[in-house]
Amino acid sequence: MKSRSEASVQGVYSTLTLLAFGLMFGACSPSENSQIGSESESILSSGKRITIALIPKKKGLPYFTSCASGAEEAARELGNVDLIYDGPTDGSPEKQASMIEQYALKGVDVIAVSPNDPEVVAPAMRKAREKGIHVITWDADAVTDARSYFVNQSTAQAIAYGMVDTMVQDLGGPEVKAQVAIVTAYLTAANQNIWIEHMKARMADTYPNLDLVAIKPSDEDQKLAFKVTQDLMKAYPDIKGFFGISSVSFPGAAEAVKQAGRSGEVMVTGLATPNSMKAYVQDGTVKSVVLWNTAELGYLTVQVGAALANGTLNPGDEQFVAGKLGEKEVAGDQVLLGDILVFNQENIHQYDF
Amino acid sequence: MKTKWFSWLSHPESLLSCLTLVMLGWIYKEDPTFLQWEVQKELSTHIWETALMALPMTLIILTGGIDLSIGSTMSLCAITAGMLHQHGVPLPMGCLAAALVGLAGGWFNGWFITRLKVHPLIITLATMAAFRGIAEGVSQARPLSGFPKSFTWLGQASWLGIPLAGWLFLGCLALCAWIMHGHRLGRYIHAIGYNEVATRYSGIRVNRILLGLYCLSGLSASIAAILFMARRNTAKADIGAGVELGVITAVVMGGVSIFGGRGSLFGVCLGLVLIHETREFVSWHWSRDELNLLALGSLLILSVVFQQLLGHKRSS
Amino acid sequence: MKDGFQGLRLGKWMLGLLKQRAAGLFCFTFLALGLVSLINPAFLAWGNLRDIAVQAAPVCIISCGLMLVLVLGEIDISVGSMMGVLAASMGAMVSATRWGLSPWIAVILTLILGTLMGALNGWLIAYLRVPSIMVTLGMLTALRGVTEVIMGGTWITDLPPGIRYLGTGSWMGLPICLWVCAGVIVLSTWLIHRTPLGRRIFAIGSQPRAAHLAGLPIQRVKFLVFAWTGFLTALATLVSVPQLSVVDSGIGVGMELLVVTCVVVGGTSVSGGTGHLSGVVFAVLLMTMISTLLIFMKLGENATYWSRAIQGLFILGAILLDHLVRSKKSS
Repeated sequence: MKSRSEASVQGVYSTLTLLAFGLMFGACSPSENSQIGSESESILSSGKRITIALIPKKKGLPYFTSCASGAEEAARELGNVDLIYDGPTDGSPEKQASMIEQYALKGVDVIAVSPNDPEVVAPAMRKAREKGIHVITWDADAVTDARSYFVNQSTAQAIAYGMVDTMVQDLGGPEVKAQVAIVTAYLTAANQNIWIEHMKARMADTYPNLDLVAIKPSDEDQKLAFKVTQDLMKAYPDIKGFFGISSVSFPGAAEAVKQAGRSGEVMVTGLATPNSMKAYVQDGTVKSVVLWNTAELGYLTVQVGAALANGTLNPGDEQFVAGKLGEKEVAGDQVLLGDILVFNQENIHQYDF
Repeated sequence: MKTKWFSWLSHPESLLSCLTLVMLGWIYKEDPTFLQWEVQKELSTHIWETALMALPMTLIILTGGIDLSIGSTMSLCAITAGMLHQHGVPLPMGCLAAALVGLAGGWFNGWFITRLKVHPLIITLATMAAFRGIAEGVSQARPLSGFPKSFTWLGQASWLGIPLAGWLFLGCLALCAWIMHGHRLGRYIHAIGYNEVATRYSGIRVNRILLGLYCLSGLSASIAAILFMARRNTAKADIGAGVELGVITAVVMGGVSIFGGRGSLFGVCLGLVLIHETREFVSWHWSRDELNLLALGSLLILSVVFQQLLGHKRSS
Repeated sequence: MKDGFQGLRLGKWMLGLLKQRAAGLFCFTFLALGLVSLINPAFLAWGNLRDIAVQAAPVCIISCGLMLVLVLGEIDISVGSMMGVLAASMGAMVSATRWGLSPWIAVILTLILGTLMGALNGWLIAYLRVPSIMVTLGMLTALRGVTEVIMGGTWITDLPPGIRYLGTGSWMGLPICLWVCAGVIVLSTWLIHRTPLGRRIFAIGSQPRAAHLAGLPIQRVKFLVFAWTGFLTALATLVSVPQLSVVDSGIGVGMELLVVTCVVVGGTSVSGGTGHLSGVVFAVLLMTMISTLLIFMKLGENATYWSRAIQGLFILGAILLDHLVRSKKSS
């Protein structure tokens, strides 16, 4: 039906499209090796090689990227470790479980998971253990029978208590009466829900003067966290504090308080990486940010994984020598990272992640 | 001879077959272990739910409609079964209730579409939010787990080397294929997609067929929900989030026209295979999830561009 | 279409609105507004209304483009991922630790990039005749991957004040994004009612075959509309992303769904040919208001987990009411 010239134009177009998509693909593939890890640097290796799969809750979060940098360092130091760092970019627990199943089939030696939903991931972890793979958790724990060790930077309870305590301190002590609200990730986010449980318990037991007026989801959307905080401040004019308990809801909430011109009057606290909070800590909107040394967490995780695969870490051990970190305490089936970091105006500029 | 070759290739199915073969060949060259039966069998557990829901979706898209609410229906069904189990109702009864909820959800969509003449896209966009919202509200966003061993066994068992879910899919596929090719209903479905008004005037009960299809879609979502629960031993309000996108991608990749009337179940099966193998192989081979998104998106666009270009060659 | 000229006088305009498809929506919005201001009059405070408008502005800007796409009988579900790529690249451009370009250049480059992405969509759809749902579905997935690649696992936390001004600054007492949004609405109204292009869009959407026979440049119109949507997406990104200090990799997730919902709830026909800007604007306001409404109603802790259900029922209610009003009118 078409004229000849139009057909040839179509031909040119088609070649162009194919070229464009070819480029799109080509542009991404060369970098494939850089992520797979320390293959090139581990010529020193002695004995058998160990493959460790490090699975974050959500790939692409600066928090986990900084953990991965520590993990890579440990892999380099150990020499015989091939590190794979990959996780779902959308943070879907189902996809995380699928990835665990894949690595189990691939026959890696160690799978280190930061479970986004302990319940959904547990069957896949158990299956991997049946295949003789060392499954450990880091950053967040799973059902205890699904893993051998938990690299514990802080328990859910400690994190929750830490946030509530920080808030009370920022507000000026336990005797101050105040309305507070929580801006969470998704309503169904498993980790956040565990924290909320503990936060409620802490408020009920220790700080009866705190009145939790609302828990609002931000659906991992900074914009929504911003909007929800804005609305809550207007609907509850006496509100005095916000907990931003995910890495996007915290900066979103802080920005809303700042733009409302109520910095220093309405307190914001929560969990986030220092870089995204620097501006707010410096201008006083946020007094303190609770976190730990993420690079060390990744480092310790790889050390534990390698030790398990080498057979140098056994049940019943009470001490564990983790490379440059020195001796770390082992409590039952948990390896403790130790010290929590609290970022404030004095020290936040020292950290870059 | 040459024109015949082109006309054969311009069918989406044959193009997809070639694409699948080329891809599998390339995968074999890169990493033969990936194509071992045991590996493939394990990995296939990730696709059965999507595949099951793709069947009614194919029929619905053939009529020119769409159902965006299946992911949310899944969560609602899972929550129904999970809550009932928690309150001491035997699990088979819970699953039955879940199936009824699925049917009801589908019927609700179908009722709006056939009676109030609301466009399927609009009503299923609304129920997509509403159903998941109800699931969240009823369950208070808590996970429900601890199902009996006999139930989770369903998610792991296999017969003749194929998982039970796979057999279920094959059974449903056979049924759908019979409807489409061996029953007059198949012709009617195509006819509705071509021209709904004309079909109505020819005395075919269009409304009844459409209502049935949306109910079927709801039912398939409930079965998918039960399969998911058996596989992951959890029922929660966030399961099935985004599943509708995967299902629709598979269906349109399989050459089913979004405007209705054109497409085949065979094409959809090929679409499912292509998407599944791409997704699994990219993370198997490169271990970079962001590449997965790039690969899937480019594959979809490339395959339709190919289809379109070869189709043009034929017509010119 | 011919009702559009009644926009000159407010009274007539409202009457015209009631006659349009948006009537149900109009009533519903006011009903909801009235109800919530009875419960909590603070809702009607100027500051709150302004914040709602600011939140609605980016959605509204994109909806103006997407409405035209739907009127053409096509669809574009890639806008959310496009926003992600645009936000990431804009952030990378201005960030001192990445490329460190000046904000002016970044703004221009972002607008060009957005237009180019829209044009790529449009080119595949118009000239290669690939169905729009497939192209944009593919783009939705692929561009999300591109966003992750650009971000590379870290976020952009050092937006310079120049670019932040676009999101936080105001001019003559109104935030910049409201001015931009108003400009886009006026421009779209003009485009739809006063230009040949607008008439052609509606003509092609209502009867593509007839439009083809009448010699309308269908391919060019489609291409332009998709490119225009891309441009508007870039515009929306520029005024909304700098409202926040951190550019993360999840910007724009779900935006396509929100925009499509607004456009279709606003009475635009999914199969092409009809659509009213006023309805779309109302739908955008209603959709962005819902979650604020819920917070102001102070439903208590039990309602926390029901908020999504209530939002869904809200949309269902709007659809039902719209249906009732229209069936009344036709009988």
